[in-house]
Amino acid sequence: MENVCILGAGSTKYGRLNESIIEIALTASVDAIESAGLSPRDIQAGYISNVFGVADKQVHMAPVIMSNLGISHVPGLTIESACGSGSVMFREAFANIRAGFYDCVLALGVEKITHTGTNQSTTLFSYCSDFFYEGGNGASFPGLFASIARAYMTKYKANEEDLAHVAVKNHENGLLNPKAHVRKKITVEDVLNSPVVASPLKLYDCCPFSDGASAVILCNENFAKKSGKPYIQVIGSGRGGSPAAVQGRNDISTIPGTVIAADQAYKMAGISADEVDFAEVHDCFTIAEIIDVEDLGFFQKGKAAREIREGATSRKGKIPINPSGGLKSKGHPIGATGIGQIVEVFEQFSGQAGERTIKNAEIALTHNFGATGASAAVHIFKKVN
Amino acid sequence: MNNPNNIGVREKFIASAQNSKILVRKCNDCNTIMLATILYCEKCHGKKFNLIEYPGRGSVNTFTIHTVPPEGFEDVDSYAWVIFTLDDILLRASGFLPDIKKPSDLPIGSRIKVERFDEKHGLVLKKL
Repeated sequence: MENVCILGAGSTKYGRLNESIIEIALTASVDAIESAGLSPRDIQAGYISNVFGVADKQVHMAPVIMSNLGISHVPGLTIESACGSGSVMFREAFANIRAGFYDCVLALGVEKITHTGTNQSTTLFSYCSDFFYEGGNGASFPGLFASIARAYMTKYKANEEDLAHVAVKNHENGLLNPKAHVRKKITVEDVLNSPVVASPLKLYDCCPFSDGASAVILCNENFAKKSGKPYIQVIGSGRGGSPAAVQGRNDISTIPGTVIAADQAYKMAGISADEVDFAEVHDCFTIAEIIDVEDLGFFQKGKAAREIREGATSRKGKIPINPSGGLKSKGHPIGATGIGQIVEVFEQFSGQAGERTIKNAEIALTHNFGATGASAAVHIFKKVN
Repeated sequence: MNNPNNIGVREKFIASAQNSKILVRKCNDCNTIMLATILYCEKCHGKKFNLIEYPGRGSVNTFTIHTVPPEGFEDVDSYAWVIFTLDDILLRASGFLPDIKKPSDLPIGSRIKVERFDEKHGLVLKKL
C-alpha cells in the first residue's frame, strides 16, 4: 500500500460565476497542477465530480476536461453523489493511488447552477432525495433538513438560537476567506429575523447555491518527495451510507453514514476524534453542523449546541470547525464542495490560509455527504514538516 | 426467476395508498417489517416475504412547513411534509399534509392518516 499525499491545490472563487462550467473547471485544474509544480503531462488519470452539468449543457465531463488540458489520452472518470460528490470522488482517486495504479492524478470538483435561478435549483436539488418518498411528496432540501432539525430539537431540547450560532460563527470565518461566496458578518438576531424557508429553518440557516471549482493533486509519497514541493499526507479515509430516505433511519437526529465513515477513517489513521486539530464539515444547513460534530465524535450526542454557543468550535476553540467559512459562508457548489474542503486543509497546512490559520494544527479532518447523508465520506490529513 | 412481489411494487404501494393503506413486507425468516419498496430484508437479508396492507394511521415524528415549495407544489397554499410512525409496527413513512399553516397546527405526536396517493402531490395525509 502506498502512502497518499496532496501535492497541490487550486480553487476558483465560489459564488455566481459568469464563465462556463468547463472554464471554471479548467481554472481550478491549472491552479492545482501549477501549485504542485507539475505540468499536465505528469497527470496519469483525472477524477471529476459534478452533479448538474446538464444545466450548463455538459455531461461526460472528464474527457472534456482532459482534452482541454491537452492530455486527451489520459483516462478520466466523472462521479456523481449529490452534495457528497467531491469527497466520494476523492476517495476513488485516493484508493487508486494507494493501490499503486497511478503515481499522480488530478481530482477536480465543479458545479455551475446559479444561472438556473432559485426555483429551478430547488427543484433540481430535490432530485437528490429519495424522490418517491421525499421530493415527490413535496419535500425540498431545506424541508428535509428542517424535519431533521425539528426532530433533533425535540429530542435534545435545542432551539432556533442554537442553530443561529452555527451560522454566525461560519460567517465570521468566511469574512477571512477571499474566495467565500457570502462574506457578510451576521448576528444571531439577523438569523432569527431572516425569512422562514422551511420551518424551523430560516434563510440564514441555509447555505447558498454556488458556482465554483476546486482541484487537488494526489500522488504517492515517493512522487511527492521527488517533486521537492511541500505536501500533506492523507492518513485516513472512510465511506459510509445511510437509508436514502430520512424516514428509514432509526434515529433522525444522527446520520449513520457519517458515523460509519468516521469510524473507518479514525481506524485507518490510528487516531481518535480528540486528536483532530480542526475540521471542515458538511454544514449545508446549520442543523447539519450540529449533528456532524456529534457524529464525528467531537461532542457527545445532544451536547454540541451548548458547546457551539460557548465557542468550542470557533477558530480559537477546542475544536475549530469550518475555518474556511464552511458551506454556509464559503458556499456550496455541490460537485466541488468535498474537494474545496481539502483545498482548505492544504492551504492551512502550507501557510496559505492567512488570518484564518489554525495555529499549531497538524491533524485535520474533512467530512462531506450527499443528500441528507445517504452517502458520506470522511478523510483525515497530516501536516508533513 | 423474478419474484412477482417485486414487479411493479411502486404501483402496488400507490394502489394501497389509494385505499388509505401502507403496503409493507414482513420477512418470512425474521419477521422484520419494512416498506414494500425494499426488496431484501434489512435485518437478515432474506428475500421471502408476505406483502401486507397495513392501516395508514400513525403519529407525527417530525415535519416542516415549506415557504419555498419545490416545483409542482406552488399551487398549494401552505402544507407540511411529515414523517410519521405507523401504529403498532413502529415503521416510518412520510407524506404531504395540506392546510398546515404554522407549527402549532401540528404538535409532535399528532394523529394522522393516509388519505390517498395523488399523481401530483404523492402520498396525501390527513390530520385526525
